[in-house]
Amino acid sequence: MQIQMNKFLFAMILTELEDAVGKENCSTRAIDKATHSVDYYWLSRMWADRGERMPEADIIVCPKDATEVSKVLKIANYYKIPVTTWGAGGGSQGGALPVCGGIILDTKRMNQIYEVNTEAMYIECGTGAIYKHIEWAANEVGKATMHYPSSLTCSTVGGFLAHRGIGVCSNKYGKIDDMVLQMEVVLPNGDIIYTSPTPKHAVGPDLNQIFIGSEGTLGIITKAQLRIYDQPEERRFRAFLFQNMDMAFKASKELLQKFKPSVMRLYDEAETASLIKSVVGVERKGAFMNIAYEGVKKMVDVEEEILLETFAKYGAEDLGSEYGEKWWKEKITFFYPGHALDLPKLYGTMDTIAPYGKIEKIYYAMKEAIETKYPFAKFIAHFSHWYEWGAMMYDRFIIEPEFVPEDPVEALKLHQDIWTTGIRAALENGGVVNDHHGVGIKLGRFVREQYGPAMQVLEGIKKDLDPNGIMNPFKLGL
Amino acid sequence: MIMSEKCKQHVDSCRFCWMCHHICPIGNATGQERNTARARALGISLVNREAIELEEIMDNIYECCTCGACVHDCTTGWDPVMFTKETRLQAALDGKTPDYIMTLVSNCLETGNAYGKTATCETLTAAIKAHSDKKDTLLFLGVDAKFMACEQANKAIKVLDKAGVDFTVLENEPASGVQLDFLIGAANETKEQMTACAKALGEYKTVVVYDPNDAKAIKQLYKEYGIEVNANVVTYTSFVASLLRDGKLEAKNSGKSVVFQDPYQLSRDLEETEEAREIIKAYAELNELLLNRGETVWAGNILMAQYMPEVIKLVAKRRIFNAKSVGAKAIVTACVSEYVSLKAVAEDVEIISLEDLILG
Repeated sequence: MQIQMNKFLFAMILTELEDAVGKENCSTRAIDKATHSVDYYWLSRMWADRGERMPEADIIVCPKDATEVSKVLKIANYYKIPVTTWGAGGGSQGGALPVCGGIILDTKRMNQIYEVNTEAMYIECGTGAIYKHIEWAANEVGKATMHYPSSLTCSTVGGFLAHRGIGVCSNKYGKIDDMVLQMEVVLPNGDIIYTSPTPKHAVGPDLNQIFIGSEGTLGIITKAQLRIYDQPEERRFRAFLFQNMDMAFKASKELLQKFKPSVMRLYDEAETASLIKSVVGVERKGAFMNIAYEGVKKMVDVEEEILLETFAKYGAEDLGSEYGEKWWKEKITFFYPGHALDLPKLYGTMDTIAPYGKIEKIYYAMKEAIETKYPFAKFIAHFSHWYEWGAMMYDRFIIEPEFVPEDPVEALKLHQDIWTTGIRAALENGGVVNDHHGVGIKLGRFVREQYGPAMQVLEGIKKDLDPNGIMNPFKLGL
Repeated sequence: MIMSEKCKQHVDSCRFCWMCHHICPIGNATGQERNTARARALGISLVNREAIELEEIMDNIYECCTCGACVHDCTTGWDPVMFTKETRLQAALDGKTPDYIMTLVSNCLETGNAYGKTATCETLTAAIKAHSDKKDTLLFLGVDAKFMACEQANKAIKVLDKAGVDFTVLENEPASGVQLDFLIGAANETKEQMTACAKALGEYKTVVVYDPNDAKAIKQLYKEYGIEVNANVVTYTSFVASLLRDGKLEAKNSGKSVVFQDPYQLSRDLEETEEAREIIKAYAELNELLLNRGETVWAGNILMAQYMPEVIKLVAKRRIFNAKSVGAKAIVTACVSEYVSLKAVAEDVEIISLEDLILG
């Protein structure tokens, strides 16, 4: 469903877009179209691997600021052309894929760092900045962002905001939606707006939280103020081995009522025996857990004492600090080719979140549903973001190449079926469609299942802000 | 396109990997998604799968500066520079090199430099003539310094004069082959130029290579291509550092606060990071950029400015922004190409070569 228009009109629109962003920032080159057609989504990768071309945008534009974004959206709205926002393409849900053709609006020229404010402790930047660059800017003044996802180097500020991303230190410092002060947003009609100067107020619902997670369906976030922190005086690690997952859940829940570690990662027996064994070197049966606690040294001493006392009550074997330190050093290594899951395997990550009492049930329900219906599938999981009330599960299915159909359409069908099985099991047991990768086109069909009549709230906002439906069509179930 | 199995393996590993997305100096300057290792690999993989034509990706293949930041960053050792250069070679063999690159290649073959220059400036010509007698030590200037930055070449000569070094500069200095290597990879023409150069250098006991780009070629690429140089080849920075150590250069520290722009050819390829610092510390107060030594960020070059000048300006401006972010007011360079690129866009930051620092 590419834009249906004649050559004359296409050329006319192209000149308007070139006028808006500059000729050199407006492309119809084959390499640009191909590059923006494949993201981290397994299906787009599989499609390209089979020598197929994914749906491509007709025009790629790279505006430098909100003013240029505004011009592009006004043109797109007038001609009713779909606009898909692209950060760095590291999304796993197909959220940035231009499935309807039209315009790809690549944000990476909006990568300016406008202000490093050590008084109010934030960095103001364009949302096209790669998050690692924000970390570098913070480091240059002795601070840190504390937002350390595996995709730190792969994804833009806007990408994390669009999908409600999260880093490994989230337990202490929060998700990306906890790290934003004010944002600049361009609405679909081209209006440039600003959210409240602070994220805590009583002036109605928080506008930040309407646009964070909206995946480019309600507007384009062009600037953000992101929190920075003092570097911790001390960061310590401690690894443990639990006999089973139940004991680990109980110990973790109790620990979180006492203090907040920065990192908490619990690996199920299957993942302990595979990934943890290969990358961290632990060759033991059980559930591996890594904890980091950090801040002022005096506090860290106390936290360590509490941690050891609490986990000992639940029979956790103390593995010392070495494995945890190794995990911290290698935390991104898991995602490089050679260590990460890759084609020709078929795989997916079904992250979900639920309160204690439900998350354990979801884990067993998803594992059973997938391994029963697809006996050739392996199911592994770890739990990496914890709260006083519940935890997030990062579970993955893996299918070896011999069970993956060569025909791309058949492979797509199998992939879709497994996702349907897994997500339904999560929803039926009190989970959500996704925790921090977003929805995209991959999971759009489940959003209505999760929300039910509440979906009309999202649809109402969408209809009012984007009456022509040009913003990232078929994503987020909108 | 014919491609080695090794390259295909690297291409197929990189095409869906985003881990070095943050590191490309070109990509960071342009904000273009195609200026990433994964985009380049994806394009090549689609050519290999006959889903896209080679001609359609060649401009992008020439947008890579081959600085190796992505290679250095990769935990698992994949090498985008290798497959980029092999693609350039294959395109040349298939007659699919873009015209604007072929002009530079032709210049290299006809004049020994991509710029098509046949004469140096008068002062440099005179300085070279004054050092034309054969000695044991040869100062190899390189085409960038000789033809595009003769003032810096002159200063390089003056520094050695100041230290009392007895040395030769060739009036008909051969091309090192590094420009052809960049443009068409390991083609026969590249190797022939390198072989001729190696032969000329072999006439001397010690060869001091001024430009890190040439030093990388002569010390590293020649070996990879099986070309032997029968001389002790040293970088200009390491040679000058030794002169300083031996007391042949008098140093007076001005206390001027500077940062150092590590040339990637020295810091990543030849793993030489401290010699330039040793020199700087003798003459000024050295502070560090956040990304230094092996982590350095390429700041532009003269060759790529021939066909993408605006991008090179953006690259240099971004590196200056890095320097200003740590409060720097002066950047010291050890690579003539980076000196020229930074100097062209520097407004409120001083760009100083090592020679400037030494000569005062």
